Amino acid sequence: MKKDIVAMLLAGGVGSRLNILARERAKPAIPFGGIYRIFDFTMSNIANSNIDVVGVLTQYKPLSLMAHIENGKPWDLFGRTRLVEILPPKTGEEMSDWYKGTSDAVYQNLEFVEDFSPELVLVVSGDHIYNMDYRRLVDFHLQQQAHATVCLIKVPKKHSHHFGIASISSTGKITAWEEKPSEPKSDLASMGVYVFKKDVLVRTLQLAAQQGGIDFAKDVIPILLKKKRVYGFVFTGYWRDVGTIHAYWQANMDLLDRRSNLNLKAWQVKTNYSVKGEIGDRPSAYLSRTAKVHNSMIARGCVIEGHIINSILSPGVRIHKNAKIIDSIIFHDSIVKSKAVIKKCIIDKAVRIGASAVLGLGRVLPNKDFPEHLFTGITVVGKKASVQSNTNIGKNCIITPGAKVKTHCASGTTIGVKSRPWTTTGNRQ
Amino acid sequence: MNNILALVLAGGRVDELLCLTETRAKAAVPIFGIYRIIDFVLSNLMHLGIDNVGILSQYRPHGLVRHIGTGEHWDFIGRKRGVRILAPYSGLKGSDWYRGTADAVYQNTAYIEEFMPEHILVAAGDHIYRMDYIPLINFHLESKADATICFTKIEKRSSRFGYGIINNKKQLVRYLEKPSSPSSDLVSMTLYVFRTEFILDVLKDNAAQPSHEFGRDIIPKITKHNKVFAYVFQGYWAYARTIESYYTTNMDLLKHKINLDKWQIRTNLLERCTYRDRTPAYINAEVTNSIISDECRIEGKVKNSILSPGVHVARGAEVTDSIIFHDVIIDPRARLRKVICDKDSRIGAQSVVGGFGKKTFSKQFDKLLGSGITILGKNSSIPKHTTIGANTVIYPAARIKTKYIQPGSTVS
Repeated sequence: MKKDIVAMLLAGGVGSRLNILARERAKPAIPFGGIYRIFDFTMSNIANSNIDVVGVLTQYKPLSLMAHIENGKPWDLFGRTRLVEILPPKTGEEMSDWYKGTSDAVYQNLEFVEDFSPELVLVVSGDHIYNMDYRRLVDFHLQQQAHATVCLIKVPKKHSHHFGIASISSTGKITAWEEKPSEPKSDLASMGVYVFKKDVLVRTLQLAAQQGGIDFAKDVIPILLKKKRVYGFVFTGYWRDVGTIHAYWQANMDLLDRRSNLNLKAWQVKTNYSVKGEIGDRPSAYLSRTAKVHNSMIARGCVIEGHIINSILSPGVRIHKNAKIIDSIIFHDSIVKSKAVIKKCIIDKAVRIGASAVLGLGRVLPNKDFPEHLFTGITVVGKKASVQSNTNIGKNCIITPGAKVKTHCASGTTIGVKSRPWTTTGNRQ
Repeated sequence: MNNILALVLAGGRVDELLCLTETRAKAAVPIFGIYRIIDFVLSNLMHLGIDNVGILSQYRPHGLVRHIGTGEHWDFIGRKRGVRILAPYSGLKGSDWYRGTADAVYQNTAYIEEFMPEHILVAAGDHIYRMDYIPLINFHLESKADATICFTKIEKRSSRFGYGIINNKKQLVRYLEKPSSPSSDLVSMTLYVFRTEFILDVLKDNAAQPSHEFGRDIIPKITKHNKVFAYVFQGYWAYARTIESYYTTNMDLLKHKINLDKWQIRTNLLERCTYRDRTPAYINAEVTNSIISDECRIEGKVKNSILSPGVHVARGAEVTDSIIFHDVIIDPRARLRKVICDKDSRIGAQSVVGGFGKKTFSKQFDKLLGSGITILGKNSSIPKHTTIGANTVIYPAARIKTKYIQPGSTVS
């Protein structure tokens, strides 16, 4: 089957800075906006750009993502000539290894790419929130007769040390490239979205592999810059790297702010409604006589008897009478009993918060165990955890998955097993 | 359940639902926000674990055909499982529209014989209930019945139903279809289990008769001559046959007589026959005792109402005691009271729909519309500052030329 372009979606990211949210699932599989997963944004971009062959590169805890992708049908990537293929690490005669990095993952799957003899290969990462027509990027790439084009976005200089930073000429040609510089020369950051001429990509990946190169930003782009035409395409819309707890929370809150330009409906974000009956098999939301809802998103199957302010509720959440949910994100099937107060919390699936419990009030002290993850006042409650009634939990707390909290916890405490998500050098995007 | 075949009667057209069935079969009328009426019987069959279901459909079936699709949403898909729409067909011998419910089954004898089931379960596709069919089937098998007829107790006797009189052996002694003064409180749910061989013989005999209805012709006759038992169902059951009963059934959900979460009803996720990619609802308003579906945007007041996906209630608008179907837009400061509003309609700013003149019966449908409900058909467009009284019917895509439509009117 011949295609003009094939997309390779990097979905193996660990997302260790997202702490317990990423303990049991890859970063792209983390729920977002009530019914979506982070991955849906990139996948919908691909589908909406009429790119109809997608390889999804998975590695870290891929099960929830694989179930979510199913057969690609929700994104209309299912049919005689349209497909999504999950590409996990594999053993073989020559290549038999875990993915060591982003470019290594693509390198190990060149056979998949060649099956479709495409002129171009689009490489995207599955852990950003944005809406982009990749065909405009492709048009630019073709117009410039580029060998590779990197998508760039303006970021504030104080954040640029997290990214690959490019300087471009007036025609868009990349003149300088620095990976995570301490003194950046430009404010244009790489979005981790690349389009390559396929033949150039194949040769460069082979070359990079010979030199031990494993990463697009660190190894592949610098090789290309030496001899090839590498351009920068500047994207100007909403784009967020939701790699930290605060950025993740903020991007969710942007859904409730019409001025944010994060617009699910206009973006036509698609998700899998039917997997495990998680969304689709539920009735519509019910709001009782005692419910009060202000500026919030309420998904299917929610039963609301309490007050919801500036919050996002996934399917099946139950909020009992006189409970107050403020500035929070609550995942599927969690229950908040009466008179509980929840402020600025991220609550994972199937959590139970007892009556009159108070979460997220107190002094802003960074988390003692993970000060680099939690310092802006957000408290995170892991999957299937429970908080007994009348218990107070402060700010920047972590309640690990399955923990049963029975005593008051001051701001900055971690309760339960304090392991970090699996960290590795392999395929971190 | 491989010795039982299910047949769902979904062909009916009823005038009593007025313009709600103008473009769709009754079984395909939307209900409770995201469902269609037929979802209830299909979900009952799914939970039974039945392998094959035939749907007898005649009146405007295309909406229904697409809704049922491959049957995957009810798990009717697999090597041995399937769902088939049995539309009327022409052929060498049988070549006619279905002349009644019994005739519809009779004309599909070939389909039935394909599976050689020992028993057939026949169920109406337009009733709202959640029932475990297993005890019914066990009862039918244990009593070695030729036929088992399901009944439910009702409080208000009406001549609209079929009534049964049973003895202490749970045998059906008499069956009366639509009697003027019912002498029983057990009404037929149009839910039957038949021994296949038996019923095919009966239907063959009936084919030569002038009338072909299970309720009117078959059940009364076999009650007299054969081994017919009665099974009484205890749970919630509603037959949304008229606008009034459709409305009441919807309101029963808000009175917690129906628990959809417990009932585990399934519907086609390709809502309105396509992926709609609906976002969750956004609410920034006063909403009390109401059902709010995906992608609703609620900025005004909603009270005691059921909203299907994609409804937009703008700032200052008020929706009370109403049922609003998909993608209706209610502009600022419009007020709706006791309205059933079909899909894709738009209510202009500051319009007032329903809520006054409740005692003025509909002039054209005086027997059907007198309890104060206003019906807006599909694609209605109500210009701003329009006032519409109760018991009024606005037909789909009707042009509204006046600013005041008095109670009891019909606009088409």
